[in-house]
Amino acid sequence: MEKHNIPDAVPFKFTKKIKTALGIAAGIGLVALLWAVFISQAPASRIWANLWMNAIMFLFLGLGALFFWTVNALGESTWQINIQRILESMALTIPFALILFVVAFPGLTHIFEWTHTEHLDRILQMKTAYLNIPFWMLRLAIYFIFWSFFAIYLRRVSLKNDFEPQDNYLRRVRSTSGWFMVFFAISSSMAAWDWLMSIDAHWFSTLYGWYIFSSMFVAALAVIIIIAIAFKHFGILPNINNEHLHDLGKYLFGFSIFWAYLWISQFLLIWYSNIPEETVYYVERVTHFRSLFYLNVAINFLFPFLALMTRKSKRQPVILGSIAVLVLMGHYLDLYMAIMPGAVGHENAKIGLLEIGLPFFYLAAFLAIFFVMFQKAKPVPENHPYFIESSDYENL
Amino acid sequence: MMHVSPVREPLINGEKSYNDITNDVMAPVRAKPGKLWYIGITVSTIVMIFGFAMIGYTVWFGIGKWGVNRTIGWGWSITNFVWWVGIGHAGTFISAILLLFRQKWRTSINRAAEAMTIFAVMCAGIFPLIHMGRLPLGFFILPYPNSRELWVNFNSPLLWDVFAITTYLLVSLLFWYMGLIPDLGTIRDRMKTLWKKKAYNFLSFGWKGSARHWHRHESMSLILAGLAAPLVLSVHTIVSFDFATSVIPGWHTTIFPPYFVSGAVFSGFAMVLTLMIVTRKALHLEEYITVGHVESMNKVIIATGSIVGIAYITELFMAWYSGVEYERYAFLNRALGPYAWAYWIMMTCNVISPQLLWFKKLRRNLTFTFILSIFINIGMWFERFVIVVTSLHRDYLPSSWTMYKPTWVEVAIYLGTFGLFFTLFFLFIRVFPVIALSEVKSVARSSAKKFIGKPIKNKTPEK
Amino acid sequence: MRSIIYGHFTDELDLLNAVKELQNKGIKIDDVRTPFPVHGLDSVLKLPRSRLPIAAFIAGAIGGSLGLLFQIWVFTRGWPLVIGGKPFLSLPSFIPVTFELTVLFAAFAMVILFLVRSNLGPGSLPDILDEEVTNDHFQIILTDRNNSASEAELEEALASTGALGVKNIKTDN
Repeated sequence: MEKHNIPDAVPFKFTKKIKTALGIAAGIGLVALLWAVFISQAPASRIWANLWMNAIMFLFLGLGALFFWTVNALGESTWQINIQRILESMALTIPFALILFVVAFPGLTHIFEWTHTEHLDRILQMKTAYLNIPFWMLRLAIYFIFWSFFAIYLRRVSLKNDFEPQDNYLRRVRSTSGWFMVFFAISSSMAAWDWLMSIDAHWFSTLYGWYIFSSMFVAALAVIIIIAIAFKHFGILPNINNEHLHDLGKYLFGFSIFWAYLWISQFLLIWYSNIPEETVYYVERVTHFRSLFYLNVAINFLFPFLALMTRKSKRQPVILGSIAVLVLMGHYLDLYMAIMPGAVGHENAKIGLLEIGLPFFYLAAFLAIFFVMFQKAKPVPENHPYFIESSDYENL
Repeated sequence: MMHVSPVREPLINGEKSYNDITNDVMAPVRAKPGKLWYIGITVSTIVMIFGFAMIGYTVWFGIGKWGVNRTIGWGWSITNFVWWVGIGHAGTFISAILLLFRQKWRTSINRAAEAMTIFAVMCAGIFPLIHMGRLPLGFFILPYPNSRELWVNFNSPLLWDVFAITTYLLVSLLFWYMGLIPDLGTIRDRMKTLWKKKAYNFLSFGWKGSARHWHRHESMSLILAGLAAPLVLSVHTIVSFDFATSVIPGWHTTIFPPYFVSGAVFSGFAMVLTLMIVTRKALHLEEYITVGHVESMNKVIIATGSIVGIAYITELFMAWYSGVEYERYAFLNRALGPYAWAYWIMMTCNVISPQLLWFKKLRRNLTFTFILSIFINIGMWFERFVIVVTSLHRDYLPSSWTMYKPTWVEVAIYLGTFGLFFTLFFLFIRVFPVIALSEVKSVARSSAKKFIGKPIKNKTPEK
Repeated sequence: MRSIIYGHFTDELDLLNAVKELQNKGIKIDDVRTPFPVHGLDSVLKLPRSRLPIAAFIAGAIGGSLGLLFQIWVFTRGWPLVIGGKPFLSLPSFIPVTFELTVLFAAFAMVILFLVRSNLGPGSLPDILDEEVTNDHFQIILTDRNNSASEAELEEALASTGALGVKNIKTDN
């Protein structure tokens, strides 16, 4: 093999400094939660809805990374091999998300109207075959079992290749990714119906699952970008160059537009047809959450669209990173808009200390698991058959 | 020079030099057309003329010569329109979206697929125009200043269609032609007769291969691809709005925009496969459009086909979940009503049959792929038929429930558009290179059998 | 009266080397002609990044805003009509047409500017020195006008890079 000047990656150490920082962040989150429960005595629905929202966001980051990892494997893409270990470690947070879901379980009755089986109206009675606790729990368990299985199995295949290059490596990754994709295509939509759409139990929209998927994917991309930039900056992954950032930036740009496309598709069709059963969803949001409703579109579409249009902004770590941070916050807001109006109602829904503080706890937990997972393996999959391609390419 | 891993399958087989590529691809333009070509173009021209005569017949006697009625106002005509527009999605998808995703295999098929796109959109455009009834007043759809000071209805999805399809046709044409000019320059320089040289120079806009021009050309192509990518999405999205902005059960559903786009790419790729499997054989381009290319296209087919399948099931589930009795009935009627045969043809052809492509053996089997692609073409036609006719024939008012049968006039017009499509395609393969010469050359070194693994001299410096 | 000196290569890697060699000798290259875009040639020749994307952005912005403003004008001033119970100013339904016009303007402006800047277009007559450059030859073109070296020196330098069939022709323009 000809020589390539690929700098060596530096094994990552989960140092005490990082641990302390994460501990402080987690502390902030806990304080915010305790403050809301005991001091400001926020309504129960608001507290449970917040726990629910953050658990979902936590899961979405890992699941989005798993999707990105497998879709690249299926597309025989190469440029992302240098950041593949980031994707792997993010995906390994999926099983831990289950714990966070379980934490929110006692509050399900506060979040989901259809759980009050004693007084359901005619429409909700029709839906009980699908919306009932045992079946709902079963579905949740199936999603988690399979998602976790695919993440852990793919990781194992990837690590095995590190010790000894496997002949059938690509084939195995590809076929596993294919199976994952089939499961994911169905489960991602169903999970969105189960966990988010059924909050507004009467309302329905066929596009909803795909819309939530796009939001999830963009949020995960934003986190991937932030971590990649940080790892490049601290010299952990020195072979991440501007080309990788450029491509990640293009993904963020493209899928922000895709998100906006699905957003407007759903909104425009419901607005145009003006059927009361459907418009109720938007009427609630436009009347009582007006500024957040428009801010959501501005921060998740207009801002990244304009800011990422130039080549320069995609290749400058500082600019790209700050855009990614804002977009991540934007998709947190998107999730807020999906959950709060239905679960908490406009009288009690707020953006206060709880909404701002609690995510720090979840973020710290996410990063802690991520760092542990990242530390366990080589920072780059050196034996990947496409590894050299990933360090040796250029954007037009 | 970028590194290419040795594990990748070559994109060009046979040890081709640049000169071989030029000669192989140009052969059909240079050679005298064969017997088959003459038969093909004669048949398709006759069919086309017959179709146009039937359009004249419709205009002369009125739309009453069709099978449409007051309940089912949109029959075959709109079905065909959506079907053709859908087919017109593969070309620009291949050349724009796959360019953005750096899929090099697109270089061997993008030219023909884009030409197909343009012809398909032209066929599609015919249907709404004649469906409006008064062909000579067709210009009423354009917002032009007039003495009544009346403008077009910008609130109507049908008008959005006018803008979307016109823009799509024009931008696709630009994109296609800008890719063609370097290759037309190549043809010009290989031509021996003076008038042909002059003609091709005119067509090639005087291309001379200057590095500055290439540099600008690449930059332009990238931005055009960036513009065309959302454009592809927007066109079938807006076509889906024609249905989804209504309140008709089975038409009004929010998943329509992305699901229509996916279906369009699905049917477009099927048509590309149908045509290319024949073309590569007839024009001896097997080494450029390899089994690997067919496999890649089959992968796109299975991805988009499965998305379409999931959308069908989502619609079905949501109809039940919504608790709206009209929605529920619309879907029951689709699956079990008088038009159930259409629904099940659609389900079999679009959802079940592409699942066979999960097997690598079948993905790489040309005969199987050819047959499957025809199945998909049929299935996607029936999808539009199901959406248009089945949803309309039984909606809110049971007293208006009725059935619809096309007349021979409608069938003849549909066949006529095939005539138009193939006439244009036969002319295209004689005049223009079917494969993007310069693009294939630019990937030849890194993707041909002989070049793979060759050491890299001259790594370009980091900027 | 100027002299045009040109030579050919059959391999793009040799071409890249030759371009660098000539540049190291301080010779300015007038033009390089290739049958396809050679990867890395633009950075070696230090061609500035094309500004066509900026033009596309501006044209797209013009097209989009004209389209949007026109629709707003038609429905609020020109001839307001109530359609489907929608307000006169129903912005969501103006999005599709606005988007299409943005793309249309951007694409056309960019292509037209490309052709104008490159001096290409229907009827344009190119100065083709050798017909093989659109097939499989890579051509370096030097001219005595922007180089201080003499014609003979230029020919010598070009030949020493391995160029084949070095020729010198005189033209008036």
